[in-house]
Amino acid sequence: MDEFFTGAVFLGILLATLRIATPLLLAALGELVCESSGVLNLSLEGTMTMGAFTGFYIANETGNLFLGLVAAAVGGMFLALIMALMTVTVKVNQVVAGLALNILGLGLAFFWYRSVYEAEGSVAIPTVETLSTPWLTYLAFFMVPVVWIFLYRTKYGLELRSVGHNPEACDMRGVGIVSRQYVAVLFGGMMAGLAGSFLSLGSTGLFFPDIISGRGWIALAIVIFGNWRATWVLVGSLLFGFLEATQLSLQASDVELPYQLLLALPFVLTIVALVFNQSRSSAPISLTVPYHRGER
Amino acid sequence: MNGEVMNGEVMPDEGRPPPGPMEEPLRSDGPSKSFRTGAWRVEKRLVVRPRHEFAALAAALVVAILIVAGLVNALGKSPTASFAALYDGAFGSRESALETLVQATPLILTGLAAAVAFRAGVWNIGAEGQFFAGIMGTWFVYDQWGSLWPPLLFVLMFVAAAIGGTLWAMIAGGLLVRYRTNVILSTVMLNFVILYVLSYLLGGPWQAPNTFYYQTARMVDSAFLPRFLTGSRLHWGFAIAIVAAAVVYWLIRRTTLGYEIRALGINSVAARYKGIRVGTVTLLTMAISGALAGIAGAVELLGIHHRVQVEIAEGIGFTGIIIALVARLHPLGVIVAAIAFGALVNGSTAMQYQTGIPKALVLVIEGTTLALVLIASVASRYRVRRVKSHG
Repeated sequence: MDEFFTGAVFLGILLATLRIATPLLLAALGELVCESSGVLNLSLEGTMTMGAFTGFYIANETGNLFLGLVAAAVGGMFLALIMALMTVTVKVNQVVAGLALNILGLGLAFFWYRSVYEAEGSVAIPTVETLSTPWLTYLAFFMVPVVWIFLYRTKYGLELRSVGHNPEACDMRGVGIVSRQYVAVLFGGMMAGLAGSFLSLGSTGLFFPDIISGRGWIALAIVIFGNWRATWVLVGSLLFGFLEATQLSLQASDVELPYQLLLALPFVLTIVALVFNQSRSSAPISLTVPYHRGER
Repeated sequence: MNGEVMNGEVMPDEGRPPPGPMEEPLRSDGPSKSFRTGAWRVEKRLVVRPRHEFAALAAALVVAILIVAGLVNALGKSPTASFAALYDGAFGSRESALETLVQATPLILTGLAAAVAFRAGVWNIGAEGQFFAGIMGTWFVYDQWGSLWPPLLFVLMFVAAAIGGTLWAMIAGGLLVRYRTNVILSTVMLNFVILYVLSYLLGGPWQAPNTFYYQTARMVDSAFLPRFLTGSRLHWGFAIAIVAAAVVYWLIRRTTLGYEIRALGINSVAARYKGIRVGTVTLLTMAISGALAGIAGAVELLGIHHRVQVEIAEGIGFTGIIIALVARLHPLGVIVAAIAFGALVNGSTAMQYQTGIPKALVLVIEGTTLALVLIASVASRYRVRRVKSHG
């Protein structure tokens, strides 16, 4: 028991926290911008898987990790483009479109991976080198002030948030709703793709179907937990990362505490935040509400 | 919608799509009334008839098949051989056709769970978690009173499954009615919470003796749901699912509660003005939805798996949502859609075995189909007309 509370273990947990928080923070910041424009993208899990795969695939084919990162961003944006087409242009229900694209993203990545790498007879698991410098971690933390300044201190960002709150007023003022929502959804997809690539190119050097294993949903939870604010999204990512890191250390130690408790805690906290933030919620008022000009 | 209070009652509006004038839940979307491109004018239909919807659905399925075929082709495999193997695996023989029904059984129930909730405009996407709650209820009864007279035990296990699913759904339902929390988000979170609760139980109190696996002991044979025929896994759960679909159809179409559920889904504000107690109906809807998902868990546990493992679900709850939407929330349509999806799952195993095409193709087919069906359901409400130029 005492061994668990040593400095080395604690430092290990802190480093693991940063590592675990990286993909969560990247994806959550992207989702924050996306939701700020009024579009709830539930397909993070699928989009991250897609990014993890396309990044891995290109890095493996070309041997160039940078190209891999670009491919991961493009892979994420590809799914996001379909999301934007469905929800912004055709105005399909966002929840359902998100679920559809989740399945599509997972399916495309698995199917492509198995088609390319698991042809008859081959059993070798392909690997790529991982990033020697944690660029994606730097990027994730760098993007926190960038997203904050963008959303709260630039004209375009303010307009984007207005679109998420009151599209009618924006339309009347001549603020283009469609273009801003496309930009926001595509940005969200890019960030989710990069988040996925952290798991394939940044830490494991592998791709496997279960590589995201719920992190997309956790990122979604972080946006809610953070009450749609960039700073609190950072806090949420670090907290959720810390809980998972502690849980990993707990499993390795002999402390008698069910590790599932720490894994479930983020989701319980999110529900609690959802209830308690209700009166002072920063959630975009028109989240999931498609805008129809001249109706309602 | 913020802070909308009427007679001291807070409206649970978040988590449901905004009410449009006299539109059904899934119909409250689509671009503006009309727009022109060249000599063509796209305009909203005044009346959408079933034939328009069927035509759009058929077009969506054809396009989905073409896209998937193109993808298979691009990856160097034969699309026709894949589809043939898929069909053969799903319906090629008596055994495979019956196995398709086995796969469809839990999907019918989770599909109904989603359909009931969505009819009321309550976006319960927690069928996956409620499925696990049902399994936990079933196992709890089996664990405590497993030596009871089997017919009584079955009744108790199914009641416990329904109660388990209901209780888990009522958490999100209660938060929605009491605090107006977004039910989409709360049900997603609850899916994960129960997964970890189950994981704890399977690694602790419920773990089978002498094993490191996260699973319970195997149930005794007398607690299995009986099978219809020898040589097939088709069990009585399929009959339960069909009866459930009939009951849900009757409930939605023929009862006061069903009327209120539909009214709530079409326009919650109008429903409230009409004197429908929105909170009560929302809670009842969540309860029914959760109970159906819970029963799906019991059916799958007692009919197929016979021991509790995390792997039982395999996305059955989420697939149910897709099925409900493809079936346009119609309880009997859910049966058809569930069999189609069951066929995909079942056929894909044979396809992978015979042609080496990865099973994951099923996910691509599901995702593409759902996306196109959604787009088609919007498109069916429009028509394209040639118009004279106005100069």
